[in-house]
This record gives sequence, C-alpha cells and structure tokens, in this order.
Amino acid sequence: MKDIEKIISRIDKLKPVSRVANKILEFIEDSEGSASDLSEIIIYDQAVTANLLKICNSAYYGLSRQVDSVQRAVVFLGINKVVDIVIMAGCAENLRTSQKGYDLCEGELWKNSVSSALMARDLAEKKKLTNVHMIFTAALLKDIGKLVLSQYVADSFERINRLVTDQGYSFKEAEQEVIGIDHAQLGAMVLEKWKFSQKMVDIVRNHHLSEELLTPDSETGLVYLADTLCMMMGIGVGSDGLAYRFHQKVIEDLCFSEKDLHAIISGFGDKLRQIEDLVGF
Amino acid sequence: MKASGFVPADQFFYLKTGIIMSSIIVGVADMKVSDNPDITLVTYSLGSCIGIVVHDSVARVGGILHFMLPESKIDFAKARTNPFMFADTGIPLLFRSAYKLGAKKQRMKVVVIGGSQILDQNGFFNIGKRNYLATKKILWKNNVLIDYEDIGGSFNRTSKLAVKNGKIIIKVSGKGEIET
Repeated sequence: MKDIEKIISRIDKLKPVSRVANKILEFIEDSEGSASDLSEIIIYDQAVTANLLKICNSAYYGLSRQVDSVQRAVVFLGINKVVDIVIMAGCAENLRTSQKGYDLCEGELWKNSVSSALMARDLAEKKKLTNVHMIFTAALLKDIGKLVLSQYVADSFERINRLVTDQGYSFKEAEQEVIGIDHAQLGAMVLEKWKFSQKMVDIVRNHHLSEELLTPDSETGLVYLADTLCMMMGIGVGSDGLAYRFHQKVIEDLCFSEKDLHAIISGFGDKLRQIEDLVGF
Repeated sequence: MKASGFVPADQFFYLKTGIIMSSIIVGVADMKVSDNPDITLVTYSLGSCIGIVVHDSVARVGGILHFMLPESKIDFAKARTNPFMFADTGIPLLFRSAYKLGAKKQRMKVVVIGGSQILDQNGFFNIGKRNYLATKKILWKNNVLIDYEDIGGSFNRTSKLAVKNGKIIIKVSGKGEIET
C-alpha cells in the first residue's frame, strides 16, 4: 500500500462521530422540527445526553438552576444552543485526545475547536448569516484531520519544521510537501466518510484558504477568520504555532476592519474563563 | 488570596504564604504578582498576546502580566473591568503591584515574551507587532529597560517564573525551552 493510502486508511480507526450529530444537522434543515422532535433524537444516545447535561451546566451558559433532562435543557437554553451543545457532545470524544505530533496535550485541540466554533458562531451572527449551525460545526471539526496525521507529523517533524522556519512554508504547505497530504485535506475526507454535507466538507478542506482560493464564500471566510483569531489568541495552539497564512483581502471582503478585530478579540477575551469551564467537562 | 478572576482597576492582589510549591496560572488578560518564594507563576497561550515577566531578586517579588491588545481606547468600559486585557492599562498595574510588595524599579529584571504573528500579517492587522510596539513605548516612557525578550515569529509560547530565584523558563512551540 502506498504511504498516502495508508494514511487515509487510518481514518477508519477514528471513533465515528455520534449519529446524533448528523441527525441534528438534518433536523435543523427541516424547518418543521419541534422541540420535542429534538429531544427524541438526543435521548436515545446516553453518552451524548450525559455530555449535553454537563455542558449545559457549565459556567459558560450561566444557568441559575441545574439542568437534569434534555427537555429542560431545551426549555432553558432554547433549540439553537441545544443544537450546538449536542454537536459538541457528539464530537468531544475524538477531539479531546492528545495529539503528540502537534504537541497538543489532552484537551488542547478540543479547546481550540470549541473556541473556534463559538467564535465562528459569533461572527456568523454578526454578519446575519442563516446557516449558523453549519458554520459552527465546520469550525468545530476543521482540525479533525490532525487526529489522523499526528503520528506522521511526529515522524517528520524536523523536516516540516525546517521548511517552515528556513524556507517560509506554512505548516500546512510543509505537511503537504513532506508527507504528501495535509490535515485540512484529511479532515475533509473524514467528514465525507461521516456523511456530512458537501458544503461542510469543502469548508474543512479550505479552512486555511490558499492562493487559489482568495474569494471564498462567506461561510469558509468566517471559519478561516475564527481559526485565525483563535490562533492569534494562542488558544489550544501546538507545535504548528501560528505558521499559517494571513489573507487580509479575505478579511476586508468580509467587511471586518482592524478595529473590528480588536473588538472581537477583547469581547472573546472575556469569555475565555467560561470556555475553560465548558471544555473541562 | 485570589487565584484567578478579574481585578478591579483600583485594586491589586497578591499571593501570600499558605501554598507550598504551587504553580499559579496567569490566564489570558490576567496578572498575578507574588512575594511567596514557594510559588511558580505560569502563563500559557502567548500567541499575538504579550507576557511581561518582572522579578526583583532582593525583595524576592515576581509577577506576570498576560495582555491581549495594545490600547484600551477600543473599549474603556472593558478596561475598567479588566485592565489586564490592554498594554496601556495592564503594564502600569503590573509594576505598581510589584512595588507594593517591595520591588524596586532599578532592581527589576524585565522579560518580554510573545507578540507572534500569522504568516504575511502586515500593517494594522499585525496585532502581535502592535502589542510589542505598545510595550516598548510604555516601558521606554517610564525608563524601564527590557533585560531579555523572545518576540515575534509564528510561535506559540509558554512562560514560567519561580518567585524564589527569578528563574524564567520560556517554552517556544517547535523550538523547545529557553532559560533566562
């Protein structure tokens, strides 16, 4: 088997994301779906339900009383927030693991993923986009490819790092050059395998953008921006550091000024402690 | 004693005795100052943010500020509730808090860490560089010299300060550890 095929075959070793996450995304597309339909989807997955209740009760959501059932979660937080939480609960198991190749301890990738997702949701609401849940989910899963590539990055770290530090490669470009595939491409393959929508697959594949993709759709642009800002804030950043490309034009096309970015960062800075609590469940 | 959370602008707090050989985390947009020799202060996640580490080896007082943005004018209300978010409100508080514990400006070792950037991040969008320029300007205006700095590039950094001897360890992503 060729090396790349061998890497791709490791996608099957990932724990499949809970089917509840897919069902939830279908539920959102169905505008007829009610709160009780939502509860019905969730309650049959005990692990997701348990995680959902822990997340609901974290300081991030600031509820004054303990939530002890899915129905009450929907009543207190509303359908939209519960949908986000279910998606987080369904992806947590994979994303919380340590990734040695990227020098990420247990929980660090998870913290980056959750922060990016919450940031992307804020940005999407600011821009009044309608498909907020899709943007949230794509931002949450954007680095899932790192789970597959981590071991190979560890094996080739010196070569990758040399290209980044000596030759001006981005970390993703260096992964591609040394290993033959990068974490964004692998992430897209993972989502394809898990039967997520083509749109979401494309966002994950393009979340670092490239010279060929400097006029992305708003959804991809916002996930890119959320990822960039979380990197700048150093949230769950590993050995790849901030070695990805900044595309000012894309940010300007989204109508964000430098002042806006400062305001977004300072607003998000206030939430970081609650996010710590949320990801620590 | 308080180990985390924001501090009103007109107050400061410090970590006194009672904890044995503990690591105290300085969060993002946060500051801690201590004269307890058993404490190590640690700050993680220095991307574009800047960490300023100070230590007076005679008074055995040390502190770390981890700020996010250069200027409080972006949001004065926020600067009042959390002055550690900005260079211009956080840096004076770091020094004042250390002085209150007996540190003297002329004896203080000052180390500046962070200010990284995404590749190709230029001009006003380069927040890491702007954070660093704001730091230099404020320190220069107050006649404070930087003893050591590990700034810029596209790295993520972590820093630790042992209050008892002023030993500072900087971990740089992809590069390993530096001791000052």
